[in-house]
This record gives sequence, structure tokens and C-alpha cells, in this order.
Amino acid sequence: MELLSYTFVQYAFIGGISLGILAGLLGPFVVQSKQAFASDMFAHVALAGIGGALLFGAAPWWGALPTLLLVSTLIWFLLESETYNPEALAMFFLSGGLALALAFVHIARDTVFSFETYLFGSILTLRGVEVVVMGIITVVISLLILHLWYPLIGATRDPHYVIPHRKTPQLIRLLFFWILAFVVWIGIKTIGGLLIGSLLVIPTLACQTWAHSFKQLVVYTTSVSVLSVCMGLGVSLYIDLPPTSLIIGCLFLLFTIQLIFRILKK
Amino acid sequence: MNNSAITVRGVSKVIQGKTILQDIDFTLEAGTLTSLIGPNGAGKSTLVKLLLGLDTGYQGSVITSANERIQYIAQQTNADHYQLPLSVQEYFSIATTRLHSKRKMSPQYTEALEHVGMSADVLKQSVDSLSGGEKQRVAIARALLLEPTILILDEPLAAVDYASRQGLYELIRHLQQDHNMTVLLVSHDVESVIPLSDQILCLDKTLHTQCSPAEFDTQKHEHPQGITHRC
Repeated sequence: MELLSYTFVQYAFIGGISLGILAGLLGPFVVQSKQAFASDMFAHVALAGIGGALLFGAAPWWGALPTLLLVSTLIWFLLESETYNPEALAMFFLSGGLALALAFVHIARDTVFSFETYLFGSILTLRGVEVVVMGIITVVISLLILHLWYPLIGATRDPHYVIPHRKTPQLIRLLFFWILAFVVWIGIKTIGGLLIGSLLVIPTLACQTWAHSFKQLVVYTTSVSVLSVCMGLGVSLYIDLPPTSLIIGCLFLLFTIQLIFRILKK
Repeated sequence: MNNSAITVRGVSKVIQGKTILQDIDFTLEAGTLTSLIGPNGAGKSTLVKLLLGLDTGYQGSVITSANERIQYIAQQTNADHYQLPLSVQEYFSIATTRLHSKRKMSPQYTEALEHVGMSADVLKQSVDSLSGGEKQRVAIARALLLEPTILILDEPLAAVDYASRQGLYELIRHLQQDHNMTVLLVSHDVESVIPLSDQILCLDKTLHTQCSPAEFDTQKHEHPQGITHRC
């Protein structure tokens, strides 16, 4: 408990819980829209944005956001055109983002910079301003998702969905991609770009057979996500293992527990 | 007085040199039930997409009367086996909740379910837990919530067991008459839909038959490959 009095630990919990709430809220939408790879795609694009920010002497994490929003808009446009296979597009942006990031860092000649921070997260090094921004984004996005609840479910579930009394839901899907971009942006700073996808997807996998409605599922996934972050972070303060690996480890543990319960129930 | 809900004139569609539809001409009169029958590959689903405005790449014209509200019920498939849970209430709300409206529609949900012979208890159940017939009843109830003037059903009972089909076809007919809707029913189940229909359209790339049930000769149309020639 003494450890909780440290500012960096408090920041880590606030940032982690913010991410847990967002990932829990958004995860079911990501899974049902068959965009489970989208978070990885966005994370690699974010790395390119980080590399670009280094090149121009800007703060790396902040530089990732405009890149994310721009490329997420491009990805939305390409998917809506229904010309390209979504999985092939994912590989295009995954590899392209990483290649650009490596090139930018090489050109910037920044010998101090390490991608590892953004690949695997640095939740214990969050600063006050970053935590405040994460908190604001969490509140805004949560309210947005609640306000657009049914149109968002429809737009991510059914490609032929039409918002009542409106023509098409493309803008709802664009908003969905922007929300995902913000969540990945927070994720690369906390648990890392390679693992944010796990926080989005695994709670949904763990809870989907226990819920009878979408609302119930989102309540469960948000609980699992926040619980995993708190458990993983809490344990990492006492044992010498990276917080990110423990958070993901908790997710896998919870998934395994529910699987065992389900098998025993049958 | 023009009483037509949808008028189709000279509609043709060709994809990569292959004729899908050729010179289709027909009228759906308001407040009637029309059955669209034909063999696999006849162009029925393509024609439905044109009527719904989902496909605009065709020659000819599809004219829908002003103020018509079209609802569409697709065939149930098992394609989305990995869909996440959704309660019947959420299923209705997705279709009826406007972007910026918080209007509660629970009483209408109960009434819509009663119209299709189901109780309000089903609102809390997951859609996936329902049988094929129940799913289609719920789909019809959802369509009714939007107060359609035109209802298009594309093979609505293909995934429903045979024993339940007759009751569901009769339900569709009763709802059509009670709500004075224009209904277009696409089906392979010739024997079941013909007696319910006001008009029969027999399609095989072109419209071979357009007649009333009394004029329709079922024997000429019992062919291993399905419907082929004119009335």
C-alpha cells in the first residue's frame, strides 16, 4: 500500500484504468466488425508517426496522433470502397508502418530513442499531463459510445445496416475508426503497440459465451479489462516482471478460468 | 388512378457479358402480395437488390411511389456463426433508434411481438437462442416496427423447418392484409406461396409469367431445375 503513495504508481493506475475502460468498451465492437487486426495495423502506423515526429524534433508520442487519425481515415476509405481484401490491407499497413518507422528513426540519427518503449509500453513512466489527457479522452469517448450506442452496434455488426431515417452509416464507421485510433494512441504509451490488441480482443473472447445481450457483454469486458490491468500492475510492483506481460498474463488467466468453468458446466 | 407501389420498366442487367436480367416489366400494386418464383440463378436476388436501390448498375427504370417505406427481410443463414450476443430488445433498438433520439419504444416492441405470435418475454433473450422460425418472426416484427408500406422478403423461410413454414407464410399473408402492405415474397416453395398470392411472377432472367394464382398451372412448373416456362 505504501507503493500507492508514489506519484508514478498513481499515474500508472490512472492511465491503465483509463485504457482498461476504453478497451473494454470498444473491444466487442472491434471483434464484431471483424477488425481484430485493426489495432495492430494502427499501432504500426503509430510507430511511423513516432518516427516522423523524431525526424522533425517533435515529442514522439504526440506526433503519433495526427498520423493515426490521418491513416485511420485512409483505411476507412479503402475499406468502404470494398475493393481490397481487409486482411491484405492490414498486412499492407502493418509492414508499411513499421518500415517507415525504421527509416525515419535511421534518418533522424536518434541513438537514444528506443522503439521498445512503444512496442511494449512504459506504463510506469507516465507523466501528469499524459494522464490528464488520457482521462479526458476516456470520458469523451465513453460518452460518445454511449450516445451512439445502437447506431454503433448496427454499423459494426451489419454491413447493410441503415441508420433509421438516414441514408448510410459510413460516418459512424469513420467515427469508430477514429475512436480506435485514440485507444491505440493511449495503448502504445501504456501497454505497447504489440499488445493493445490483446486488451481489445481477449476480454471479448472470455466473456462472449456468458452474456445474453451486447450491453451485458460490454459490462463484462470492461470489468475484465480493468481487473486485468489492476491485477497485472499491482503484481508487477512486487515481482520483477514487466507490467505489460503481467497484464496480458492476467487476461490469459481469466480466459482460461472461464473456459474451465464452461467445460465443467457442460 | 395509379395504384402501383413499384413499377419496373425494361430493366436489364449484364455483368461481364453475362445477361442476369432481360427486359423485366411488372408492377406491384399497392396492398397486394406478389410471389416471385424461379430456379436458382434466375436473377431473383439481383432483381430484389435493384428494387431496394442497393444496385444502380442496370438499364431501364424502377419507380417507387412517393412516401413509400420499404423494409427488407433477408434469408437467414448460418454464415455469421461467430456473432456476438444480441438480445431481441437490442435487435429491435438497432433498427428503430434514431441518431439523436432517446424515445423509448418498449410498448411498440411488445405489440410488434404480439402481431407475430410471440410473447414479450423473448425481449430479454439472445437472438441466437431462438429457433429458425422464431428468428424470422422476430425479423418480421422488427420490420413492422418501422411501419413499412412495402415489405420485401427474400427466401425468408429457407432455413426454417418444413412444419413451421406454412404457419409463417399464413402469418405473412395476415400481416399483409391487416396492415395493407405491398409485399413481394421471393420463394422456392411454390406450393405454399401460390395460394397466398394476389400475383405471381415467374422469373428466369426474363419474366416468363405474370398472372394470378388461378391462372397459374403448378404442374407445368414442377421441373427438377425449378420453374422454366410461361403460364
